[in-house]
Amino acid sequence: MKRIFTRISVLAAFCLLTINVAFAQNITIKGKVTDGGDKTSLPGVTIVIKGAQGGTQTDADGNYSISAPADATLVFNFVGYTAQEQVVANRTTINVALASSTQQLEQVVVVGYGTQRKIDVTGSVASVKGEDISKQPSTNPISGLQGKVAGVSISNNATPGSSPQITIRGTGTIYGNTGPLYVVDGVWYDDITFLNPADIASINILKDASSQSIYGIRAANGVVLVTTVKGKTGNATINYNGTVGVQSVTNAVEMTNASEYATVVNEAYAINGSSPLFTNTNLGEGTDWYDQALRNAIITNHQLSINGATEKSSYNFSLGYVDQDGIIKTNNYKRYTARLSNDFQVKKDLKIGYNVTGSSSISKNAPASIYRALYTAAPVLSVFNADGSYGDPTKVPVGNGTVDLGNGSNVNPQATLDFNNSRTSKYRITGNVYAELKFAKHFTFKTSAGGDFGQEENTNYTPKYKATTAQNANISTLSIGRVETRNWILENTLTYDNKWNDHSLTVLAGQTAQRYKSYTTTGTAQNVPYQSEGDLYLRLGNADGRKIEDSGSLNTATSYFGRVNYGFKNKYLLNASLRADAASQFFGGSDLWGYFPSVGAGWVITNEDFMKDQKIFSNLKLRGSWGKVGNAGVPINPTTLTVDQSAGLIAFYNGIANTGASVTSIVPSALFWERSAGTDIGLEMGFFNNKLSIEADYYSKKTEQAIFNIPILGSLGTSNSLLLGNQADFRNRGFELSATWSDKTDGGLTYSISGNIGINNNKVLNVTSGSNPIDAGGNGLNNAVVPTRTVVGQPIGSFFGYEVTGIIQTAQEAATSGLSGAKPGDFKYADLNGDGTIDQRDKTFLGNPNPKYTYGVNTNFAYKNFDLTLDIQGVADVDVYNANLGNRLGNENYTKEFYDNRWTGAGSTNTYPSANLAGGNNNQTNSFYVESGAYIRLRNIQLGYNLPQKLTSKWKIQKLRVFANAQNAVNLFGYRGFTPEVGGVPTSAGIDLNVYPMFATYNIGVNLTF
Amino acid sequence: MKTYMNIKLQKWCVVGVLSTLVLASSCKKSFLDVDPQGQQAAQQFWKTQDDATKAVNAIYGNLRTWENLAFPAIAIESTGSDEADKGSTPVDATFFNLYDTFTVTSTEGSLQSFWTGQYRNINLCNQVLDNVPSISMDESLKSRYLAEAKFVRAYSYFRLVRAYGGVPLRLKVPADASEYNIPRADKAAVYAQIEKDLNEAAAALPASYGASDLGRATKGAALGMHAKVAMYQQKWSDVLSLTNQVISMGYSLFPDFEKGFRTQNENNVESLFEVQCEYYPTNLDASNSQYSQVQGVAGEPAGGWGFNTPSQALIDGFETGDPRRDATILFPGETTPQGDFIKTNIVNIGYNQKSYVPFSMFIAGNQGSQQNFRALRFADVLLMNAEAANELGNPSLALTSLNKVRARARGTLSGILPDVVTTDKALLRSAIYNERKVELALENDRYFDVIRQGRGVEVFGVKGWKANKNEVWPIPQTEIELSGGLLTQNPGY
Repeated sequence: MKRIFTRISVLAAFCLLTINVAFAQNITIKGKVTDGGDKTSLPGVTIVIKGAQGGTQTDADGNYSISAPADATLVFNFVGYTAQEQVVANRTTINVALASSTQQLEQVVVVGYGTQRKIDVTGSVASVKGEDISKQPSTNPISGLQGKVAGVSISNNATPGSSPQITIRGTGTIYGNTGPLYVVDGVWYDDITFLNPADIASINILKDASSQSIYGIRAANGVVLVTTVKGKTGNATINYNGTVGVQSVTNAVEMTNASEYATVVNEAYAINGSSPLFTNTNLGEGTDWYDQALRNAIITNHQLSINGATEKSSYNFSLGYVDQDGIIKTNNYKRYTARLSNDFQVKKDLKIGYNVTGSSSISKNAPASIYRALYTAAPVLSVFNADGSYGDPTKVPVGNGTVDLGNGSNVNPQATLDFNNSRTSKYRITGNVYAELKFAKHFTFKTSAGGDFGQEENTNYTPKYKATTAQNANISTLSIGRVETRNWILENTLTYDNKWNDHSLTVLAGQTAQRYKSYTTTGTAQNVPYQSEGDLYLRLGNADGRKIEDSGSLNTATSYFGRVNYGFKNKYLLNASLRADAASQFFGGSDLWGYFPSVGAGWVITNEDFMKDQKIFSNLKLRGSWGKVGNAGVPINPTTLTVDQSAGLIAFYNGIANTGASVTSIVPSALFWERSAGTDIGLEMGFFNNKLSIEADYYSKKTEQAIFNIPILGSLGTSNSLLLGNQADFRNRGFELSATWSDKTDGGLTYSISGNIGINNNKVLNVTSGSNPIDAGGNGLNNAVVPTRTVVGQPIGSFFGYEVTGIIQTAQEAATSGLSGAKPGDFKYADLNGDGTIDQRDKTFLGNPNPKYTYGVNTNFAYKNFDLTLDIQGVADVDVYNANLGNRLGNENYTKEFYDNRWTGAGSTNTYPSANLAGGNNNQTNSFYVESGAYIRLRNIQLGYNLPQKLTSKWKIQKLRVFANAQNAVNLFGYRGFTPEVGGVPTSAGIDLNVYPMFATYNIGVNLTF
Repeated sequence: MKTYMNIKLQKWCVVGVLSTLVLASSCKKSFLDVDPQGQQAAQQFWKTQDDATKAVNAIYGNLRTWENLAFPAIAIESTGSDEADKGSTPVDATFFNLYDTFTVTSTEGSLQSFWTGQYRNINLCNQVLDNVPSISMDESLKSRYLAEAKFVRAYSYFRLVRAYGGVPLRLKVPADASEYNIPRADKAAVYAQIEKDLNEAAAALPASYGASDLGRATKGAALGMHAKVAMYQQKWSDVLSLTNQVISMGYSLFPDFEKGFRTQNENNVESLFEVQCEYYPTNLDASNSQYSQVQGVAGEPAGGWGFNTPSQALIDGFETGDPRRDATILFPGETTPQGDFIKTNIVNIGYNQKSYVPFSMFIAGNQGSQQNFRALRFADVLLMNAEAANELGNPSLALTSLNKVRARARGTLSGILPDVVTTDKALLRSAIYNERKVELALENDRYFDVIRQGRGVEVFGVKGWKANKNEVWPIPQTEIELSGGLLTQNPGY
């Protein structure tokens, strides 16, 4: 085996590896393993000889016996405890006391540009181990964080290959990139979909402003620090993880069948004074479009890693492969990742190394808006006619004739699927090279150059086809879009680290420069033939109509930063930092440089003399911090007025096109950095030898001069009636609590139970437009219905509309409803200003799309060879706007739930409207469409079994674990849509339109270690 | 040796730090000074004749927008009339019903869209009028460009004043934020400005253009538009003299009423001003006119959405045998002169034929983007001339002009549409009104025409139209809110 690995290493050809092979006499070593806290014996502890195969386990009394070379090193491993190494050194008895992981006051967390002992941190930093993420059956590492960290809210986007939305302590910014900064091994990213979760050693989330402020320019939405797996001392370890699973739709929404549909459509027609569309409503079940288009989808995942280290170098090499079918037929996503990292101790004081990740993904995309199409497609429509042609919504055979279903239900989703040919390929190579020099005993200089080079290609081909009246093309169209990104970041840091007497001092100074460039080209051509993929070239299309367009962006920034950490007697901690950033976005303005200071202080009370004799607290620490962070996420040169040369300005004279260009916008005269200032007060407590640990935080963060667009007078005649600027102040304030209990029973059950809850309140404090609202969220909704409003005193993007007080039952009630054109069966709206007329002035706040409570409960159990993980997660006090219901143009399908509850005549119901759901004023934003988005779900349950060492050692396997898991197996919510997990950008969040149905994933898998 | 190595490394390190710092600071300016990517800065614009040309092109291009030609225009300028119904399926875009029944309130979206759409035209005109004068270029071309901008600005303000009454009068690009919010000018001031712009435009515009400029505003367009503006103010002698000027310029009626609306006969002898629309394969984003699409035959691939459909009152309003009835309305079951069969299972009683593009011209999703909107044609001028002559006591001139329109409609057929002969002022006025109704049907003229005739209650009263309120639509509520209350609402809303 060893030789094979050597060969692999050589083949890898990147690293200078020397494999140390020990030749020594074997001796037999015996001993007992106990818990370092309560001294009870530990059964089932794995003992392996470092760098060799085989090993053993402790028996029920914690005793073991192993044969090993006299100079070998034994590694003791047990779930919930920190691994320990013991050099044999000719000893024949080695008793070991293992420290519980939670006993680790020495636990190290990653902070900006360095690491700190958890006990020394004065801000709020959450640390999640890589294995807790890779254990989740999520292909995206961020998705695996859901429910794990207090105050971190994650909203999954179920489209294969997409990134979830992550919000740290509430909405930090409105404009531009609203996601956090990801720093992977020192390189900055906006998302980390390219990372294989198995490559992650840990994720540390900087939650408070003081911890974040060292990343000034890009820290407004929090910072996620990702550390990847490095080679560990010892000979090569090979790990293989593989899973195969099935994804299945859960909590599906039932729609009406054909008979019910015909009935309710006829009712809508009758209400609008038209004769019935269907002369016969007895049409049976009809087509269930969800059944037709959705499937149980297979997902497979393979990961292989090889890592190890010698005295002078370490290496880690990994490969990952994911093949995920979408639950919509034809949708598929494949991702390949390869990662290599090497460290070389080239001189005693000089280390160099690199990390490089190559990633590619290929997605066969589901058609845009297919989910909305499935929701709206009429059940009376056949997938195919008897003659094999597609069922056409304009010619639905009913009785002797045909009917035209009209707008709103005018597509056959099967044809949409069949004639969709859309692919996205992404290629990315990213990583960094670095050198680290220690000198003059206390100094470390580190320089790092990181790069991120990506290419994305979107190919879309619509053939010449005729499926239905609305779905056809009399000429084929090919479009190829290509996005190239070329980013780099240079960093130099100098650290001074010293401890003397009762003092410890760390001083950091650093400098960075960054450049982000992207370039997009889109080409289209018509009449491109399609016999094979090889035909998909623009040049094969008609010369007439062939077109290429491009666009790009370029940002640069240069920054300086410094930090001082001082500790006295491990009791009193002080931390101060300052970062100065200059961003190209602000170049030429009065506010080129942004300065972001922070201070923090901590008091480890348990280290005081007066606490020496108390037995309650094993750890008690009080900390407080304040800091500032910035946001440079604005368009480049926002104050530069530019020329609009859009195609809509092309003039035709005698049919000939003439380029048009003019100024169609207004820009702000000045734009300043958006800054946030936040305070955090935290209490960390450990009880009963740290079996119970509790961490509580209160925070308040105010975003000042937030940058976003506000609506301006239409009479200014600009193309979008918006003006960008520093328009508002808002605040996120909240409380977080997390607690973990870990213990083991006498019977040998090791377990940990942890819970966390975050409470966040978002409030707009000030808007430059005064009482004028910032409307948004109208996208995709018909009749210019705008369901959200951002206004002083309310959370960002609150739902705003009419309060439904009941249903108009009679014509007389309609006449006095204050609503023009109201009919019986329509919503009755509250006349809030009491003027007898219902209009915009009667609208009020209906709900808040920002979750107030996010929580999670995470548990781990291990007993003998079995382990069980159970994670529960949820949100509460949040609202969703169910736009799917009311966003209607005509004869869209209805939900069964609506059908069963609809108003059918005076006295039938006072809560659901009539079939005329889109008619009159019924589709205006109102409280009927605002629903609770609270949910609780069994996020992950996993049961694993480690095959006995006796068995596996025969196969030269160190560890073989088989497991089964399920994600989202149980979901509880009252929402009437597919899933309340809707997401969306801050000013139009929580609007459910065209949402991917939720699914549960069931996997079986194997972990194999050689 | 070790110490030596360390010192050496330290030196290397110091050099490294210094060089990076120097590098960073020495090129700081150029490193952070990033140009707009792929976008021309406005500072570099307004320098050359070519810039002026492009900016004037933009004015014409923008007239194709959704707000100018599609739903908002139909809602504001057509739906309230007795000639058109909402169309499409009963539950589709029901907001139109609020205009049809005069129950619309200030928050309805099309009020804002139409408003903003017109002001976008006006901004593009103001950009030219503010910036082109200082460009060094061919002076005669410059004065023509300015005149073209004035024409479109007047046209846009005319559409605004008809729809809302007095509106904020923006005659230049606001210099800074202090000029953003301005109050409504009164109706008379808006009309005065429109007439001033049209006078100046007519003085500088050519009577016609060469082929490569066909479609630009002409002197005839400015005079004809001025006549219409004058008519809305009952300035009958102005209407008479302006229409006489146009009549003397050589316009004539296109012989075949139906064919005059087909794409191959765009910009014909009858045309004073058309919004130029094309299917432009090289850039489909410029094929953005939805004028024809929103009114096209519903449920027909090459048709459209089926809005703004003819009302029964319109169908019944044509005299027996009037060929304009069939030329104005696509009836189910008919076969058009271009050979298209209009299917029988349509949900509406018919569709607008004046915006119709034959199905054979349909190309991949672009329903009727080729169809020009006829904004002003000579038949309208003749009818304005007739009406002014009648009002001023010259029935014989009135009859001459009126009967020209009827004669063209009659064509070679006999026994239909006899010449009007009455010289009774009231009867003749009524005949002219009726002629306008059928001649200009479904061209977004009827609604405001009836109102300016003072017959709102008489014609639309049954639909809910009320005097002293429905002469104008409400000012968009959002605009009032954004003005901080500086803009006042129209009475009754």
